[in-house]
Amino acid sequence: MDETVAEFIKRTILKIPMTEMMTILKAWDFLPENQLQTVNFRQRKESLVQDLVLLCESKRASLRDAALLDIIYTQFHQHQKVWDVFQMSKEPGEDVDLFDMERFKSSFEKILRRALKNVTVSFRDAEENAVWIRIAWGTQYRKPNQYKPVYVVYYSQTPYAFTSFCHLKSNTPLLSQALTVASNHHKIVKMDLRSRYLDSLKAIVFKQYNQKFETHNSTMPLQETLELDMHMDSRIIHENKIEKERVQRVTQETFGDYPQPRLEFAQYKLETKFRSDFHGGILAERKEPLRCLIKFSSPHLLEALKSLAPAGIADAPLSPLLTCIPNKGMNYFKIRDK
Amino acid sequence: MEWANDKSKGGVLAHLERLETQMSRSCKNLEDPPRETAESDLGTKIHKLRCLRDKLRAEVKQRQARIKASTANAEPDQTLEISEQEAVGGKEENMKAILQAYRFTGLSGKRTSRGVCVCISTAFEGNLLDSYFVDLVIQKPLRIHHHSVPVFIPLEEISAKYLQTNIQHFLFCLCEYLNAYAGRKYQADQLQRDFAAFLAGPLQRNSLCNLLSFTYKVEPQGRSFPFCARLLYKDLTTTLPTDVTITYQGTDASSTSWEEQRASHENLFFTKPLYQVFTSFARNGERLDMSLVS
Repeated sequence: MDETVAEFIKRTILKIPMTEMMTILKAWDFLPENQLQTVNFRQRKESLVQDLVLLCESKRASLRDAALLDIIYTQFHQHQKVWDVFQMSKEPGEDVDLFDMERFKSSFEKILRRALKNVTVSFRDAEENAVWIRIAWGTQYRKPNQYKPVYVVYYSQTPYAFTSFCHLKSNTPLLSQALTVASNHHKIVKMDLRSRYLDSLKAIVFKQYNQKFETHNSTMPLQETLELDMHMDSRIIHENKIEKERVQRVTQETFGDYPQPRLEFAQYKLETKFRSDFHGGILAERKEPLRCLIKFSSPHLLEALKSLAPAGIADAPLSPLLTCIPNKGMNYFKIRDK
Repeated sequence: MEWANDKSKGGVLAHLERLETQMSRSCKNLEDPPRETAESDLGTKIHKLRCLRDKLRAEVKQRQARIKASTANAEPDQTLEISEQEAVGGKEENMKAILQAYRFTGLSGKRTSRGVCVCISTAFEGNLLDSYFVDLVIQKPLRIHHHSVPVFIPLEEISAKYLQTNIQHFLFCLCEYLNAYAGRKYQADQLQRDFAAFLAGPLQRNSLCNLLSFTYKVEPQGRSFPFCARLLYKDLTTTLPTDVTITYQGTDASSTSWEEQRASHENLFFTKPLYQVFTSFARNGERLDMSLVS
């Protein structure tokens, strides 16, 4: 086994937390069950990793096997990457898409290899209709860097592809081209949508985030009841009860009853003239547009926005710039004067 | 003063008395009729009021008697009310059940505050499969609020064509696509699940299940070489393939019996759903076994 491959496998296994070690190795399915049982999983991690690497050597693990292990690790730790979304489109009136996964894979790899000889491309099927692609980029003269790969997740017969953030922007056009051609599309555009949570991005672009429907079968309450304790002492009166109910109703109409998709930030790049009610201020009456960047951050941005009005921090209804995020599939905005 | 002496011995005083009594008599005559009429009026009024009072009293008595009589029949009346309530409740349950059962027709809906939530329940060969929802907002223009249709079903295309002009066609078209997709998916799932023994490798499929590629054998024991099948469903509204390609890679590929088999398999895949094709393989296999035994 190549030294670089051994080193690569060693570093990958070292990243795996002990609690997940067995699960990931089983998913990899490279080391058979009986061999795994001979390994002592209670020793110190470094020694365990050494034992595992020796086993891999004895089984002559290739770069391909190592890349597969890397994909599985990343699948278990999706949130460590930041994911972008690309949207592809076809010409109207095209034939029915007869997507063949094997043809897609070979076409994708062929396009990359034609442009760049030093590239490692690996595939792993996921779910029923998705594929995870791992690409390690090299240059004309240098071998691929296995430690800075790009991942692409693609669901067949959909116009969206999810890619992990890549520092090397120079390879993005080639990647876009390979994706577009291999999946029978014509154009590709990067969406202004980014998050660590792949599932949330999928829910937003596939429009799967609101899955509550009224049927005759469900006895679902149609409205969230106001959480005022109705059995409280009758001597206590709720001030602003009508206003609170209005805020609840407006919030529920805007955000719905469902769990919001998870985003970490929304960014607004403003290039507008400053508008002020007060004349004679420093910023007022300037001809040039004011350039500023506003960023809202949160562990769960949309849930935080949803709770603003009920908490009394903001007026309901919220600005449509905030509430349009899942609908428009954007969390990066550029606002200019019309 | 002779006449005064003539009239009576009383004289003037007596005459004056006579005149007085005459006058008082005539006054009395004038007064008496008003007093009498007033009296008689009052009398008649009193009489009338008395009669009215008696009448009302009698009526009150009658009503009281009636109430007493009806309260005596109180229990039978109450039970009548209860059974009426039960009947209404039963009807309500019945209606609810009918509304719930509507989904078995494949297309049902429920009014919402915005418009209507349509439920498309798919089925294939008598098996009830997934339900998909489209929540419509009744406004001009008609629009879809949210839905659970998978992203690879061409919902935008269908709604662009029909939603504004012919909503019935929109719903039927969507039903067609979804039912066909559900049927193809069901066939693929069933093949992987129930006939895995016949497959020599993994089943290749895609989101729409409109391209299936697999290698199969007619006998699970695997004495024969496998066939490669490639099924294309170019019409997204059907559950049977439009293109079938069967290839055989055995060493005696040129032999006529294999060619016959290949052709008959192609025909089977064209005309029958997947589980029927493989069930017939299984049955043929049994028949072959039986022939070997005998």
